[in-house]
Amino acid sequence: MSGPRRKVAITGLGMVTPVGNDVATTWENLQAGRSGCGSIEHFDASGFSTTIGAEVRGFDFSSASADRKLLKYASRSHAFALAAARQALDDAGIAPGGADAARWGLAVGAGMMSVGYDELREVGRQCAPDGEFSADGFLDPSFPGDPVAFCRCQSNSGLGLLAREFGIEGYSTSVHTACASGGQAIGTAMKVMRRGHCDFMLAGGFDSMLNPIGISGFCLLGALSTDNDDPQRASRPFDVTRNGFVLGEGAGFLVLEDWDAARARGATIYAELAGDGNSLSCYRITDSPPDGNGPIQAINQAMADAGLGPESVDYVNAHGTSTLMNDKSECAGLKAVMGSSIDQVHVSSTKSCMGHLIAAAGAVEAAVCALAIRDGVAPVSANVRELDPECDVNVVTGESRRVRIRAALSNSLGFGGSNSSLVFRHPEEVS
Amino acid sequence: MAKQPEIVITGAGAVCGAGATVEGIWQKVREGQTALRPIEQWDPANWPVKLAAEVAENNRTLVPDRKLHKSISRTDMFGLYAADHAVEESGLLEHRAGLPDGEVAAFNDRSGIIAGSGGGTFASNYDYLPLIAEVEGKLPEFGRELSNMVTPMWLLKNLPNNVLCHVGIKHQFKGTNACITNQCAGGSLAISESAEMIRAGEADRMVAIGHDTSLEPESVYYYHRCGLMSEDGLRPFDKDRSGTLFGEGAAAVVLETRQGAEARGAKVIGEYLGSGCVSEASGILDLREDGDGVARAVDLALADAGITAGEVGMICAHGNGTPGSDATEALGIRKVFGEAIPPVTGFKWCYGHLIAASGIIDAVVALSALRDGVVPGIASLEAIDPAIAPFPVSADRRDPAGDVALVICRGFGGMNVALVIRAGSA
Repeated sequence: MSGPRRKVAITGLGMVTPVGNDVATTWENLQAGRSGCGSIEHFDASGFSTTIGAEVRGFDFSSASADRKLLKYASRSHAFALAAARQALDDAGIAPGGADAARWGLAVGAGMMSVGYDELREVGRQCAPDGEFSADGFLDPSFPGDPVAFCRCQSNSGLGLLAREFGIEGYSTSVHTACASGGQAIGTAMKVMRRGHCDFMLAGGFDSMLNPIGISGFCLLGALSTDNDDPQRASRPFDVTRNGFVLGEGAGFLVLEDWDAARARGATIYAELAGDGNSLSCYRITDSPPDGNGPIQAINQAMADAGLGPESVDYVNAHGTSTLMNDKSECAGLKAVMGSSIDQVHVSSTKSCMGHLIAAAGAVEAAVCALAIRDGVAPVSANVRELDPECDVNVVTGESRRVRIRAALSNSLGFGGSNSSLVFRHPEEVS
Repeated sequence: MAKQPEIVITGAGAVCGAGATVEGIWQKVREGQTALRPIEQWDPANWPVKLAAEVAENNRTLVPDRKLHKSISRTDMFGLYAADHAVEESGLLEHRAGLPDGEVAAFNDRSGIIAGSGGGTFASNYDYLPLIAEVEGKLPEFGRELSNMVTPMWLLKNLPNNVLCHVGIKHQFKGTNACITNQCAGGSLAISESAEMIRAGEADRMVAIGHDTSLEPESVYYYHRCGLMSEDGLRPFDKDRSGTLFGEGAAAVVLETRQGAEARGAKVIGEYLGSGCVSEASGILDLREDGDGVARAVDLALADAGITAGEVGMICAHGNGTPGSDATEALGIRKVFGEAIPPVTGFKWCYGHLIAASGIIDAVVALSALRDGVVPGIASLEAIDPAIAPFPVSADRRDPAGDVALVICRGFGGMNVALVIRAGSA
């Protein structure tokens, strides 16, 4: 289509996080710098090198959907997704109806897809009692082999459940670029709207790797903080003593609508989803390059896509994982892009409080940016005692800052080198 | 309407049970030779499902760089192999080598990759089984012994986005990217999303890849439990069809603007015209009985391509051989085309169901079919299901009704994706 590019409005938010099972609680705790990290209670993690995590607490699984049969097919992360998506739709005050179901789309960053520990143990019992695998163990009539468990761990199970729960019949996609998944899902949703394939998108991410197999992969890599005695301070992005990330879990969802349509129906608009940038570092699998080459392209693209220069961005919700390399690379990238404006840009990592939500991180942090814009608050980057000289950007240390945010940037940099940057614009700044 | 750039395909690669070159696979499909045979990865003697189309090539043939073997899994090797072949055929690397130094970085930043990935295998978790046996399932001991018994590379080896990552590192294509984990729809969406990136001006060229292997005991077991697997053969649209059978492998294509391809004198092997993607909102395994999702995806794809149903020369159906999917797919096709359905075929009888790679390998084979002007027969078809007849499928080779192919892909989660592609100009 010719003419001006379609503008995309964010009109609904939903969150289930380690610092709150809804948007209001999560946002309040993030602003206060309260940590959701603690000793892992979900399973006996006492033998692992890392025994701490940022768990979702007090979540009522059965409340995630009224459809009991559907809920049977939901994993823990799917339940987070169903709950957060429902919150977002309720917040927006719209829902896919019969007539416009095909104009609603879905884009999700899907988290861990593998089976649970108990199911794997069952496979071990049947097929590898001595550790040596034999396929015929599955054929033993005593193997429970529940098809429901199989359905739960398909790569697009979450997508399928969300589409069914909310009756979404348009463009639907599920992406996974590790820690960049959530950001990429929201960027994809924006593009689907711009190209006119949908008029409404439910977009977000969900993940839960806080289980024995999920945490094992990260323990083996040595990526997690082992500050088991001080969980609340373990996640300290940009601090000179940082030593790894804290694994979190949860889900975040946004409702996206055509800007003019949202205005016409009198919807509350949090922000314009104004720009998306997306690059591949092509460097190493787990590390981002020290000079920021990779993240730089994503940030530049996102700002150019939004039509913004460095002087117009007031807040950055950093990827800020609290690993040595990530924070260094990200800060190098930010400095390269922002140039002389870097000191005016408030930077924080809300992972300092809620840990790293992996495939959900970018989606939850997009919601945080929308709230930061609405309330004029740059949330605190908790736990910084001594700023790493290599992270000498304007980090929001100590406490949250009141600041009018004309535009916010959110970065998500994934294992595998995918970088996603999103730009959000204050509604009053939208021309 | 502003004129969108024409998008062409300048390279393709594939590997599956039917061969490790696009031409080799096409010969098998055209000649009606199936690659489905008794499973060799494990002894299927006691299994109800005994057939599959396995990739014969070993890891060293697929990925000569042995250093990489420690950090990727076999499905990744399929993807890397197919991508290498597609990139090689496109001539992009030679083109880049001829660019002035100052233009290389921009070229790389404008070159993107989208992979459709199976997401992971059950077997990847079996690396933990010796440990679980050793500690008798006790979690604290599991945690303590973990690093003594499981490779530190475990997570990296099993990242769903490994192909994206390693194709990027190898070729330094640093542009827009995605890894789509949408079960069967992944490979088709890799093509359509790549095309959309070029249309939106976010990239000048894209490598689209789909790769998967569901061919492993636990997966076969569950698909069979769910009533989706055949015990005797894969016969799309046949009255005695009884389910699908697995293949494994990957396919890849290079997409770019026609302008860019012509400027560098690249050979055009096909043209991308459009796509449609919809959900049936039916849950994980369920399908709508009226074929509504298929019909809507095809309608959207034709509209996106700017062509009418009458201009479609052949339909490459998903045709996975399950009673439910084939019946509803036929209904959906009829909804769109009425009684004027062009020749319908499908290729899974030859190389099995490649799940996340199924749509993209079908598209690659369809390009060969369009080039040769041949609609290959469904070799395993004996008697068409009277419930869907009349329906223009055949065991024999036919002539296409035009130079455009419609490629349909369906997946779990009620997904339907349709692609419209045209033969390359000779």
